[in-house]
Amino acid sequence: MTSITSRNTGALVVMVVLLAAGWWLYGPRSPSTWTATDLAILQSLSIDNLPPLPPDPSNAVADSETAARFGHRLFFDTRLSANGSVSCATCHQAERRFSDGLPKGRGIGLSGRNSRSIVGTAYSPWLYWDGRRDSQWAQALSPLEDPAEHGGNRMQFVRLIGDDPAYRHFYELLFGSLPDFSDRRRFPDAAAPVADPALRAAWQEMTAADQHSVNIAFANLGKAIAAYERLILPGPSRFDAYVRAVLSGNQTTAEGILSNEEILGLQLFIGEARCTECHNGPLFTNNEFHNTGVLTFPGDLPDRGRIDGVRLVRNDPFNCLGEYSDDPDRNCPELTYVRTGIELIAATRTPSLRNLGGTAPYSHKGQHDTLASVLDLYNRAPLAMIGHNEVEKPLGLSRRELKWLEAFLGSLDAPLATELEWLTAPVN
Amino acid sequence: MARTFLLQTAWVFLLLPLAASAEDDSWLTRSGYYRISYKSELQPIEINRIHSWVVHIESPAGEPLLGAEISVTGGMPLHNHGLPTDPKMTTEIGNGDYRLEGVRFHMNGYWELLVTIDVDGKRDTVIVPLDL
Repeated sequence: MTSITSRNTGALVVMVVLLAAGWWLYGPRSPSTWTATDLAILQSLSIDNLPPLPPDPSNAVADSETAARFGHRLFFDTRLSANGSVSCATCHQAERRFSDGLPKGRGIGLSGRNSRSIVGTAYSPWLYWDGRRDSQWAQALSPLEDPAEHGGNRMQFVRLIGDDPAYRHFYELLFGSLPDFSDRRRFPDAAAPVADPALRAAWQEMTAADQHSVNIAFANLGKAIAAYERLILPGPSRFDAYVRAVLSGNQTTAEGILSNEEILGLQLFIGEARCTECHNGPLFTNNEFHNTGVLTFPGDLPDRGRIDGVRLVRNDPFNCLGEYSDDPDRNCPELTYVRTGIELIAATRTPSLRNLGGTAPYSHKGQHDTLASVLDLYNRAPLAMIGHNEVEKPLGLSRRELKWLEAFLGSLDAPLATELEWLTAPVN
Repeated sequence: MARTFLLQTAWVFLLLPLAASAEDDSWLTRSGYYRISYKSELQPIEINRIHSWVVHIESPAGEPLLGAEISVTGGMPLHNHGLPTDPKMTTEIGNGDYRLEGVRFHMNGYWELLVTIDVDGKRDTVIVPLDL
C-alpha cells in the first residue's frame, strides 16, 4: 500500500516538473521592461528620428516640383524601352512598395537581380544591391539601356524628349533648350556606349562634342526621374507608434499597439538576434555591404556583389565626381573615400526592413520566398559560397523566437508617406 | 608554483590598460614616439554619417609635430570586419593638426582604428579604441 502511494507521489512530482518545464518553454511569455539602453535603440529606429531629406548637390533639380512632375511621367512611360512595353513602373510597382514580387526583375528579358524597392532611396549613398551607382539619378539611367530591362538607348530617349511637345516643354523649363538632334548624319536613330555592337559602333562614329550633348540630355532625364523618386518615402508604422507611446511613458497605450509576440520579437531584434548591427537607423539599414552567406540562385554562379560594384561605380561617367554632376565642388565624400577589399566579395547592400509585407521574394536574387526562410538563414549561418559569411555564429533561436521576430517585422509595414497622386500613373 | 607565477605576472595585466589609453583621450604610440588625439567634427559621433576628424600629433613631451604622414585602417575586432570607408589624411592644418576625411561607422559597438604615423621616416602605430 505504502509503496503504491509513494510510486503515485513520484509520478505526480515528475508530471508537475514536466508541466512546469513545458510551461516555461512553451507557455505564453510576457516581454520584460525596456532598459535605458533599449530605449535609446528604440528611439534610433523610430521614423521620428529620420532626418530631413539629404540634399543632392549633384542634381540641381532634385527638389523641383516641375522636375518631379516630369520624372513622374517618365517613370510610367513605356516608350522609354526597346519594345514600347517596359517602364520603370514595370519592376517598381507602387502597390508592391515599388518592387515586383519576382525573384529577378522582368523587363525586355530577365534581369540579373531582384528589383529593389525605391522607397527611401534618397537617403542611401549607394544604389543597387552592389552599390554600382551613387545617386538616384545615375541609377535611373542604368536600366534604360540594360538589354534585359528597358533595352533602349540614350539617342532614342533624348530624341523622344524632342519629339513629345509636353516633354520638350518640361525639359526646356528645367534645363534650357534641348539640342537639335534632327541631323541623322550626326545623330543616328539609335546609339549608346553599351555592349551591343551596332549601338556601340553608331555611338563611336559620333563626335565627342555630340556624344557629350546627348549625355547631358540623357543625364537630365535621370535627374527628373530622381526628383520624382525623392518623393517616395516610408510612413509611420505601428512600431513607430509603439515607440512614441513607450518613450512618452504611456505603457498601456503602447501595449495596445503591438502584440506580446511582436514586442518579444522586437526585444530579440535589438538584443540576442543582433539584427541592428546592420538593420539600424530609422530606415532599418546601414546601406552598407555584407556577405551573409545567402546561397546563389539555382543555376547562377555566386554573385560577386560589392567587389564588382566598387569598380563599376568608380568607372561610371554619371557618378558624383563625373562631368555630369551639377555640384561645382564635386563634394563626394562617399565615392572619394569608398573602400574595396576581399571582405566585399559577395557582399550586398543591406535592405530596409520597412514595408517587407507584399515584397517577397527576398535577397539579391529573390532566393528566399518568405521572411521565415531569411530568418532561418541567420539561424544557421552557413559557410558563404564565395567570400566570408560575416554572420560567423548561428543565432540558435528557437522556432518560437523566430516566429516572434517575424511577427515584429510585420509591425514595420505602413502606408507610404507619399501623396496618392504620385503612386499611380500621371493623368495627362 | 602556479600561484607564484600568477602573483609574479599579475601586475602586467594591471598595467595593460595603460598601454592603450592615457589621460585626456590621447594615446601614446607603440614605440612611444608620438602622442595622438583627435576631435570629430560630428559630435557626438553617430553611425551611418560620413564626416571628418582633426587628428593632433605631438611628441610625448607635448610638442606639436609637423610634416606627419598619417594612414588609418581599422574595424570591429569582435565582428571580424573593417571600416566601411577608406579614410584619408587630406590636409595638414598646422600646429600638429591634420584633417582626416571620409570617416564613417556603420554599426554600434566596439571599434578600433589602427593609426600609422610617419614623421621624417620614423614610423609608429597606435590602436585608438572607440565605443559607439
